[in-house]
Amino acid sequence: MRDSQSIQKAIEGVSNLPTLPVVIEKITRLLQNPQTSAEEVGKAITTDQAIAAKVLKLVNSAFYGFPGKIGTITHAIVILGFSTVKNIVLTASIFDFFQRRGNMHPDFDMEKFWIHSIACGAASQAIAKYVGYAEKEECFVGGLIHDVGKIVTCQILPTEFSEIVTTVKQKNLLYYQCEKDVLGLTHQEIGAILAQRWNLPRGLQNIVRYHHQPGLDKEFYQATSIVHCADVLVRALDWGWGGDSKIPLLDHNVWRDLGISDISLGGLLEDIDSEADKATAMMRLM
Amino acid sequence: MRRVSVEKIESGMVLAKEVRGRSGNVLLSKGVALNPFIGRRLKNWEIVFVHVEGEEESSEEVSAVRVSPEEVKAGLEKKFSGTLHDAIMKQIFAAVYQHRIQNAGAATKAST
Repeated sequence: MRDSQSIQKAIEGVSNLPTLPVVIEKITRLLQNPQTSAEEVGKAITTDQAIAAKVLKLVNSAFYGFPGKIGTITHAIVILGFSTVKNIVLTASIFDFFQRRGNMHPDFDMEKFWIHSIACGAASQAIAKYVGYAEKEECFVGGLIHDVGKIVTCQILPTEFSEIVTTVKQKNLLYYQCEKDVLGLTHQEIGAILAQRWNLPRGLQNIVRYHHQPGLDKEFYQATSIVHCADVLVRALDWGWGGDSKIPLLDHNVWRDLGISDISLGGLLEDIDSEADKATAMMRLM
Repeated sequence: MRRVSVEKIESGMVLAKEVRGRSGNVLLSKGVALNPFIGRRLKNWEIVFVHVEGEEESSEEVSAVRVSPEEVKAGLEKKFSGTLHDAIMKQIFAAVYQHRIQNAGAATKAST
């Protein structure tokens, strides 16, 4: 086992860490200025044709509720607002990122892992709606990228990654338990390095860093709790595959604080299935 | 119209009936040309079979797979193994089981 500090240094020093399109940074900067117009943001997005096309496909999918009606990015911004469009651009870029990965390891089913990620995003959004949390689109993106550290591990530390996935499969462990033994570092920490490198909003960085220990997140506890809960529920509902075939325990404080009662849990599961259906169908469009 | 298992989807087959997801959303509409790649995706979405255009071939393809309550329970127990001492996990287990059984019932009703 390499010591975790040297691994952390290795990851931080890697120059070929996956990147997000420059357009993300451009629009993040634009959106910080209250004077920015819809046209300016639209223009910035359309400079990246690949992303712009994906954004239009996404806004016209059933998931966002305007199937086949939005023809231009500017129109999308006017109807959906800056914050939603920003999250859609992020979603499109992350889709792009995942799709470029291809197959990572024979024991790691990328397609199912991707379904787990999308379903977790959809479930996070459904839970946010359910508990009345305002930033539900950010929760979607948070769910989508919560496990991004696993992909980085594969790319940067292929030998260790291979050892983890093989052991997880042979001994039927949680990926999360196993990586601590092999790496001494978790996909949360590794993913957080990437999230920081990508300059993602702090809330998203925290979701990646703390989704297994939401209690440690003092700043964005609610959003991180929502994704923590979504991760457990989509595994229970068998949406895709998160890297192992087990379910981690749900944090008791989170369950209490989100206030999901026994009576309403059934309805929430219905909502999660329905949102995950729409979100995974959206993936087919991309 | 004939029913084929998603594993036996071949290029050139055309959907004769839309494919719906677990909660009833349309995933693929009627008339879509299929290929094995789409078949794999459908499998990931836990779709077992689809209806394609053409004559019924053999009866072995018409093996509708309905999961029984016992199978649902066994699958969940495996998945939840090592967590059922926990009160909240038990609660989630019960709710997911209920949810699965109800949905399986609804799907059976819809197809008859």
